[in-house]
Amino acid sequence: MAKARALDRRRRSVRNIRKITRTMELIATARFKKAMDRSVAARDYTARLAKILENIAAAGAGVVHPLLDVRPTKRSAVLILTGNRGLCGGYNSNMVRQSLAILGQCRSEQVATHVSVSGKRGIAALKFRGIDMDERYTTFEDKPEFDAVAPIGRSYLEAYASGAIDRLDVVYTRFDSIARQSAVTEMLLPLKPPEPAGGTATGPAMLASQDYDFYPSSESILEEILPASFLSRLFKCFLDAAVSEQVARMVAMKAASENAGGLIKDLSRRYNRARQSQITGEIMEILGGVEALKQ
Amino acid sequence: MAESKSTADEEKGVRCVIVTPETTILDTRARFVTLPLFDGQRGVARGHAPFIGRLGAGEIRIVGEQGAAADAVRRFFADGGFVEVGHDAVTIITQRAIPGEKLSDAAARAELDKLRGTTATGDEAIAAKLKALEAARALVRTAERGR
Repeated sequence: MAKARALDRRRRSVRNIRKITRTMELIATARFKKAMDRSVAARDYTARLAKILENIAAAGAGVVHPLLDVRPTKRSAVLILTGNRGLCGGYNSNMVRQSLAILGQCRSEQVATHVSVSGKRGIAALKFRGIDMDERYTTFEDKPEFDAVAPIGRSYLEAYASGAIDRLDVVYTRFDSIARQSAVTEMLLPLKPPEPAGGTATGPAMLASQDYDFYPSSESILEEILPASFLSRLFKCFLDAAVSEQVARMVAMKAASENAGGLIKDLSRRYNRARQSQITGEIMEILGGVEALKQ
Repeated sequence: MAESKSTADEEKGVRCVIVTPETTILDTRARFVTLPLFDGQRGVARGHAPFIGRLGAGEIRIVGEQGAAADAVRRFFADGGFVEVGHDAVTIITQRAIPGEKLSDAAARAELDKLRGTTATGDEAIAAKLKALEAARALVRTAERGR
């Protein structure tokens, strides 16, 4: 009986684990939907800012701004966005691998690097690898808020303006689609100069964008809009990271539930076989006893 | 016939959209919109010449919203940002917009008092504080007007 009972106990514990992973999958699905809605709602702001930038560029104003200056990189900053929790497949380890690559590159180019990490998992992994971190954030969960991201962004803007950093890279998981998220390193500072609307198009598109008046002037608007556009891009990184983390957890937990199902099936088969052979054994014993009594 | 009349009504006003980094908080049609530009208020009705302007801190008034009375006013507080005015659309892009009904006089005053209590050293910090003070005063003004 011992073997059958042990198998049964194992089967019960796997069942419990499956219950947990299944619940986590459902929670991750709900969170993913919410995070996705927020991400979609935030897209409008970025798109409209980009449109105004295009209009300014098309108006032929000389687009000159300190945030657009490309300087030789002597000091750079890297912001790494990871999750606060595990059980999400390769999400965190991909981020760590990606950030080690860029940090290694900075070291080989002898660039002083200011490292900021968001997420307990990333902090722990980089600490283990002996990387010094200047800033750590653990407050960003599945719903990053603009008011929480903006101060971080503003401190980067100040550091860039004062020359404390010459470049800012953000390592995060970009959300391409529900089936595809990619670990990327994106350069946010210096900003890319805005392109005129419709590229080099002339004709109606060009004319349409040129009849805007600017109050007080296109330069003054540019001065305000570039930091705003940077902040919105940084915010988008945080939103993408949050959505990707939930997708990764959803997929990982789905796989875990399915795996547990397979395990239970296998354990059940072995348990039944063990029980059957035990019964057979008992019958043989009884039969043996009967035969002995007959003699 | 009734349907064509309602579409004609819709085409009369301007489309007013308020966008913040987190979400689009308003998308409606209105008869008239008053905007807090950096140097004062400016009213926009249908057919206004297109412009892109910088906003200061202040009150956005949306007059005669679709589905409401012709002189009904809906108010928002915007803390800086930009506005893009097309022939029949007003798009307000701001980092912070608070609906009028959520503004509280006491909370606005508390924010102003808190700012007054801080000290700023250095040119940049002083400029930032002055800007924040101006926004806080505009918030108090907007909240008071809503009473």
